[in-house]
Amino acid sequence: MLDQILCIDDDPITLMLCKKVIVKSSFSNEIITSQNGEEALSYFNTIKHTNNQNKPIPQPQLIFLDLNMPVMGGWEFLDYFNSEEFSEFNSIKVVVLSSTIDPEDLEKSKQYPMVIDFLSKPISQSMLEYLKNKLK
Amino acid sequence: MKSKTNQVIIIYILISMFVAIVSHKLLLQYISNEKIPLYTFTRDILFILFTGIIFKLILSKNDNRNISTFEKIKNSNNEIKESNEKYDIVAKATSDTIWDWKIEDDNFSWNKGIENVFGYKQEEVGENSTWWFDKIHPEDSIKMSIKLYSFIEQKTEKWQDQYRFRCSDNSYKYVLDRGFLLKDENGKAIRMIGAIQDITKQKEEEQRLKLLETVITQSKDSIIITEADSIDAKIPNIIYVNPAFSIMSGYESVEIIGKSPDLFNSPNSDVSELEKLLKAIKNKEECLIETISYTKNKDEYWVRLSMIPIYNADNELSHWISIQRDITEEKKQEKEKEQLIRELTQNNKDLKQFSYITSHNLRAPLSNLTGLLNLIEDITIEDQELKEILSGFNKSTHQLNDTINDLVKVIIIKDNPSIKKEAVLIKEIFENVFSQLNFQIELYKPIIKLNFEKISVINTNKAYIESILLNLLTNSIKYKSENRKLKITITTEEIDDTVVLIFKDNGIGIDLVRNRDKVFGLYQRFHNYPDSKGLGLYLVKSQVETMGGTIGIESEVNKGTTFTLTFKNKQ
Repeated sequence: MLDQILCIDDDPITLMLCKKVIVKSSFSNEIITSQNGEEALSYFNTIKHTNNQNKPIPQPQLIFLDLNMPVMGGWEFLDYFNSEEFSEFNSIKVVVLSSTIDPEDLEKSKQYPMVIDFLSKPISQSMLEYLKNKLK
Repeated sequence: MKSKTNQVIIIYILISMFVAIVSHKLLLQYISNEKIPLYTFTRDILFILFTGIIFKLILSKNDNRNISTFEKIKNSNNEIKESNEKYDIVAKATSDTIWDWKIEDDNFSWNKGIENVFGYKQEEVGENSTWWFDKIHPEDSIKMSIKLYSFIEQKTEKWQDQYRFRCSDNSYKYVLDRGFLLKDENGKAIRMIGAIQDITKQKEEEQRLKLLETVITQSKDSIIITEADSIDAKIPNIIYVNPAFSIMSGYESVEIIGKSPDLFNSPNSDVSELEKLLKAIKNKEECLIETISYTKNKDEYWVRLSMIPIYNADNELSHWISIQRDITEEKKQEKEKEQLIRELTQNNKDLKQFSYITSHNLRAPLSNLTGLLNLIEDITIEDQELKEILSGFNKSTHQLNDTINDLVKVIIIKDNPSIKKEAVLIKEIFENVFSQLNFQIELYKPIIKLNFEKISVINTNKAYIESILLNLLTNSIKYKSENRKLKITITTEEIDDTVVLIFKDNGIGIDLVRNRDKVFGLYQRFHNYPDSKGLGLYLVKSQVETMGGTIGIESEVNKGTTFTLTFKNKQ
């Protein structure tokens, strides 16, 4: 079981579903959510600055990332997250969880080293079992 | 002649002397008077000498006159001989046919030419003018005779005419006939002599050239002929322009001859194209360019222009020919077409994007619904009514999900015109398909006959061919007849460069008379079955066509259906 995971999605129902399924599958102890890429980045910035004050804050071990979001979408988030600025978080793995059907999106996701999988919504218990095995 | 005169005189003097001497001797014998005979003798001698001198004078004068007359006759004789010789030489040298017409007697005679040129034997030739007129082409005869008679009546100075003259083999020859009149002392025309020249070859050549000339004069393309050499690195000067050029450029030919076509250049002319042209001229090479030109009124037009070097018999550049066409309209259309293609491409791209976004936006809430329903499954519901409602909700959601997934498949196929192909074992594909349909096959136990002996490998996209065969097999099972055991036959064969896959069942069939146009259409259903969406055959056709193949169908109600799939086996 993971300690903390981050779900980034603008749709509250999806987030609710994620929480419920994750709890049900005992996939993670803690679930935190962000409504878009920008919110997620500011969360990581908070971690960065709090760490500086020698108060360690637990980091998410996995991110479920949606692609189409207002303010900052999944791709833009990945671009920032992949940059020097967030290099201390580069061990965090990302799973793209989207309802896209555009084959180009799948290709594009392969360019980011932290993206370990590209999965189609909805999140399900079987999907989480699969990920558990993959992360072992 | 002269000596003869002298001889006569000498003989006369000698004989006279002899007679005088003999008479004197005789007289001396009979007359003794010595003085008288000497006197008579001397008088006789003197008389003889005197008459001799008189004779001599008369004869030599006569002689002189005779000599001059003789000289004259001799000269004129020579002249006649010479002119006869000349005539003979000319008559032999000329190919003209000479005729001689004594107008008053209407007596007409021809020289050898009438046989040599026109093929008439001497006995065939008529001896009057009617025979001549009769041989003139009907279309030419009236015009010709008007001109001829006005000449004979001396209303016109000269006579020469061109007409067609019929040969003995009934073909016609173009002739040039020239004649002159001989008049009597009253100035009346009594005789006419003419020479007919065969100009058929020239005439035919003239007509051929005229015909060829129409190509230039009637052409809708502009044609320019220029000198061979260029001055100051310009295009060589123009020596001819055809009428089409005047229409295109607005310049009359007199305004433009002797000038360089450089003056058609407009500020918008394509500099690189003009350089190409000048380089070709320098290298004496043919070239084709497209550029903007100026008309006389400084209107711009697009022109496609070729420049062709023309060489003479000595292989020296003699001039250039330039053929030009106004392609303004063509260019405009090309531009419009490009614009249209650009717009269509953009539209298509937008629509594609739109379909992805729409399907994404449809799928996002749908996936939530599916996810939520999955959660409900684990919750025990006591309320029977709620259970029923949720079950209906569940069914509808999954149906919606299936439909959207199918549509997504279509979008992806349509968006992917060129897909990867590989050599696939047909047997392998069927193994995969059968394992997916394992449940149905176990349930209905159809008789499936496979014959891949002729062709076992097919060059195709594996995912597509699997989807195609899965759809066809599912259809066969879904639409099997209730009255007989389902039998499916699948064979492959090679025809020319193609692989043909024949898929045959004995199911309920489709009424093709009514539905042939719709069989492969989107959302076309022919049987009221609950789980039929009318998408399967549409997908199959899309996938077959995406791989560059074709699909055909033959079907009879209650007998069965046969699909024929044809694929190109080579890339």
